[in-house]
Parts: sequence; structure tokens; C-alpha cells
Amino acid sequence: MSTLSEESRQIVASLAHRVGPNVDTARIAQAIVSTLQDMNAALTPIIGQQGVVALYRRSLHLCVSVHPRLADTYDSVQAALDLNALKSVLVEQSETDALFFGEVLLTTFYELLTTLIGPSLTARLLRDVWEPSLSDTPSQENSP
Amino acid sequence: MSTKVTINRLATGVPGLDEVLGGGLPEFSFNLIAGPPGCGKTTLAHQMMFALATPERPALFFTVLGEPPLKMLRYQQQFDFFDSEAINHSVRYINLADDTLAGDLDEVLRRIVNEVETHSPALVFVDSFRSVVLASQTQDNPNNNLPQFVQQLGMLMTTWQATTFLIGEYFNETDTNPIFTVADGLIWLRQSVQRNSMVRKMEIMKMRGQPTLPGLHTFRIATSGIKIFAPAVLSPVEAPLEYPLQRLKMGVPQLDEMLGGGLPRGYSLLVAGPSGSGKSILASSFLAEGARNGETGVIAVFEQRPNHSQNATLATLINNGQVGLVDSRTPDLSIDEIVHLLLSEISRLKATRVVIDSLSGFELALAPTFREDFRESLSRMVTALTSVGVSVLMTSELEDRYTDLRFSPYGTAFLTDAIIVQRYIEVESRLLRIMAVVKVRASAHSDELRLYRIDDHGLQIGEMLSDQEGLLGGRPTRRHLGKDDR
Repeated sequence: MSTLSEESRQIVASLAHRVGPNVDTARIAQAIVSTLQDMNAALTPIIGQQGVVALYRRSLHLCVSVHPRLADTYDSVQAALDLNALKSVLVEQSETDALFFGEVLLTTFYELLTTLIGPSLTARLLRDVWEPSLSDTPSQENSP
Repeated sequence: MSTKVTINRLATGVPGLDEVLGGGLPEFSFNLIAGPPGCGKTTLAHQMMFALATPERPALFFTVLGEPPLKMLRYQQQFDFFDSEAINHSVRYINLADDTLAGDLDEVLRRIVNEVETHSPALVFVDSFRSVVLASQTQDNPNNNLPQFVQQLGMLMTTWQATTFLIGEYFNETDTNPIFTVADGLIWLRQSVQRNSMVRKMEIMKMRGQPTLPGLHTFRIATSGIKIFAPAVLSPVEAPLEYPLQRLKMGVPQLDEMLGGGLPRGYSLLVAGPSGSGKSILASSFLAEGARNGETGVIAVFEQRPNHSQNATLATLINNGQVGLVDSRTPDLSIDEIVHLLLSEISRLKATRVVIDSLSGFELALAPTFREDFRESLSRMVTALTSVGVSVLMTSELEDRYTDLRFSPYGTAFLTDAIIVQRYIEVESRLLRIMAVVKVRASAHSDELRLYRIDDHGLQIGEMLSDQEGLLGGRPTRRHLGKDDR
């Protein structure tokens, strides 16, 4: 992850920004899901729904193999890009665990896409996912 | 004042393509890029797209079934023309896989029109169109509405002032496909395989409203993208010879005398001789003489190990930049590619003297598919070179046969304006060399068979062997002295 330190820092910062000042599990779950929705919205027009689902499943698989302790919790959500299922699992975790998982999942997704289409194009396609949340106005109205 | 519509022609940004298209790509045309898998259709589309798209008039690239977009982005990035910053800015990818899978062409058309109205693109690409066709055929309705779909798409895109490309795999150009009728342009890409060589070729089968260059044009795909080798443009009227002929010195004074004062400027000269007879040495003295007079030259070397065949004089000239070296060891060359390399080097150096060493190596360097047409190819090359005004010296390996007098193994002697032939002869248990000028078009020249030798200073031409006869047979005999000589 060292090569993507700048990007992972950005992802972590963006996630924290979406969670806002009052940290609780529900907000964390919502922030993770809304980020995934934004990534989905940015990528689907270009690589298709199936392409995004495939990337998501591969990212989950990688997360679980790198951090085996996550396996028990997240095995159930590997079926498809079912963000409601993911959210319902996330809200049952502790704040620290949920946030950790969110950071790992989003960073893994980003890294995976980078290995496929390179850093500059990945940054180009996902720029809008991070940028609005780094502006001054907290964007917490991203709920579906 | 003309009230005819003016069709703008877009510069495609693909080297050679504008020439082949007959002056560029007609704006708002509806085109098909066709060919078997792996022939470069998607690459061609991307190269034009990145060259032509602007933020104001972007390009829309619709991906349908076929190559997954993720892979396409991965591989197209390898080319220099790919610009990540242009994505979502002047270039937009739109995935239509789900709509196509449903097989509903009306829905596909609606999506395309919707996006076109939103972005007002200058360029629209649909890749691969073949899968749209296949999807429509899987419908329950056997009379699929493809012709209608193509017709509507073609009309809509032109009305929306978009230049459109459908990219599709077609193996057979005689397919009765409605697209072929509707399309304004048909660009066909091919891969011609013979033995273990592969040559890429492009044909403009149709381009409404402009004179395209007919025939198959070879191209290569490199990291810079596609490069097409359009045939050299020949001026329709060749300048007539000017008298007195201006002559170039060969660097061998006695040979200049034999040629009637040197090689006339703009002539092509064939130097034919057996291995080791000094053809390359004559060629380098020709270039060195040019350099002495402030002229530049170009040499094309078609040998397996060009560095080993260079003599010191030539190496110096190349290092000094007085002679440009065309040393293409790329396999499977086409004649147009070689002419292209030569002409660009000639114009870079403003060269007046060109050497091709040798025709035998040149033939080996050509892809096998072109060898059958070697005489034609050679003729085109000689014409292309002499029409830009350079003087050309070509060497040709000649198997020593003492039963006939041949100048080249290709029957190409008629192509050149002048011919010098070199032979070995046996005299008193020594292998001697003789040389003769066989032909100099529109000029008097010597008819002597002259002895010559090669030393550190190059070719040294000596006397005739007037007391010997049967020289061309290789084993001359001392002439029987007649009464007058006694």
C-alpha cells in the first residue's frame, strides 16, 4: 500500500469527512455505503454494472484474505453489490471495526482498479468521489 | 460563387490515413471500421478519437458487448496517444452492455440518441457494432429491425452533426449487410499471413465524395499507434531532361570518363556484379564524392549485420551526418514502408545521392507476400526516388555465369537508366576483375571492358586487356595475332 499512500490518505480523509464530527456506527456505515454508491455511479457508465460488481467482489475477497479476522463477519455480503446487506452488517460492528473495514475495502477497491487501468486514469475517473467531500460543506445527505 | 455544400475534411491524426482517405475524413460522415479480430480496429478508433476530440465537441465512445471496457482502457493506455486527462472531459465512454443484452434495438438507439443530445459530440464511436447485430438476431422476431436501426442511426448522427464510426468484426466483405449500404465510408483492416510473416493492410473500400487511394495499404501498430504507409505521391508530369545533362562524379575519375563524363543527375544506376567485386566500395565512393562536393546522401542497407559490412569511409560519412542511414531490420517490410523511410530521410538531409545496398538484401527484407511482386515494387521505388530528383545507385548481387551476360537476377535491368557490370576473369592463374558500362540512357558512353583492382584508396581502373578475347566467358584466351600485327 506504500505506493498509494497519498491516495489511501485521501480515501481515509474523505471517509472521515463523510462521517462528520459525531462518530457512531450508523454514520460510519452510511459513509462507507455512500462512498461505494458514488464510486458505482462514476464507474458504471464507463465499465458497466457488471464490471463494477466484479471489482467489488474481488475487493471484498482481497480484504478478507489479507485480514482473515474479517472473514466471519463479511462472508455473507460477498454475493453481489448489495449495499443494504453490507450496511446491515456494518451497523452491528464496533465503531473502530466498521471504520477499519471501510478504509480497507475502499483502499483495496482503489488499488485493484489501479492495477488494471493505471493510477492516472483511476484518479481521473474517481476524482469526483473524493473531491466534493473534501470541500468545506459536510455532505451527509448522500443517503439513497 | 459556388453554392455547393463544402464538406470539411478532418485531419485524423493517424500518420498516412489522411492521404489514403483522399484528403482527410469527411465531417459528419457515417463510417464502418471492419476487419477480423486483432487487426487494430479499436486502436484506430481511439487514435482518431484522441486526436479530434475537444472539450467543446467531445467524443462519445459507446461500448457494447465484446471487449470489456475495463480491458480496453487497460490496453489502449499503452499507446502514446491515450490521454487519461481527456477522459470524462473531451472523451466519454458509455457502456451499453445491459441494453444490448436485452436485444432491444429501439432501446439501444434511444440510449445513444439521449447521450448524443446531452453531450453534442463531434465524434461518436460504437464498439463493437457486430454484437449489436448478433444481439438483435437472438430476438424471437426473426425479421429483426437491424436495417431500420442502422438507417435511423445514420440519419440521426448526421443530423446531429456527429462524425460516426461503427466498429465491427466482419470476415466477409460480400456479406449482404445493410450497414455496407448505409455507410458513407468503409475502412477495412486485414492481416495477411504468409508462411510465418504477418503484414497489416488497410483498404478504403468506400468513401463518399472523395478520391481515395485505391488498393491495400500496409500499416504498422507501434507504441505511438497506427502508422499507415501511403504510397509516395508522384508528380504526374515528370520534368523533361535538360541538356546538356548535369553529371555527378562517381569518385573514380576513369569511371566518370567511361560513363561519358559522370552519372547524369536524377538517373538510377544499377551496379551488378558477383560477391566481392567491389559494388559496395563503388557505392561508398559515390557517396564520399558527393560529400566532398557538399552534397548529402542516404544509404539503405539491407544486410543482416550492417555494421560489419560498412567500410571506414562510409562509417565516417554517417557519423558526420553527411550520409543518412536507413537500416531497417524490422521484419516483414513493405515497399511503401521502405520508400517512406527513404523519402523522409532524403527530405531531412536534403539529400541528392541515394544508395541501396543491395537489391538482394532488399528482397529478403520484404515480407514474403510482396516478393512475388518484386519487380513492380522495385519499379515503384525507383520511380518514387527519381521523381524527387535524387540520383540512385543500386547494387545487385550477380551470380557469375559465364554462359550468359546478365545484369540482375530480377529482370530489372530495364528499370534503371544506367548499368555498370563487374565480372571476374581468370588470366595466368590469377583472378582479375573487369568492369564495363553497359548502358547510360540518352548519353554516349564507353564500350570498353576495363581491368580494375581494389586497394586502400578504393577502385583503381586500369587498361583494357586488348590482347585477350573471350573475357565475358571468364576464361579469356590470348588473341591469335593477325598478319597486320606481325
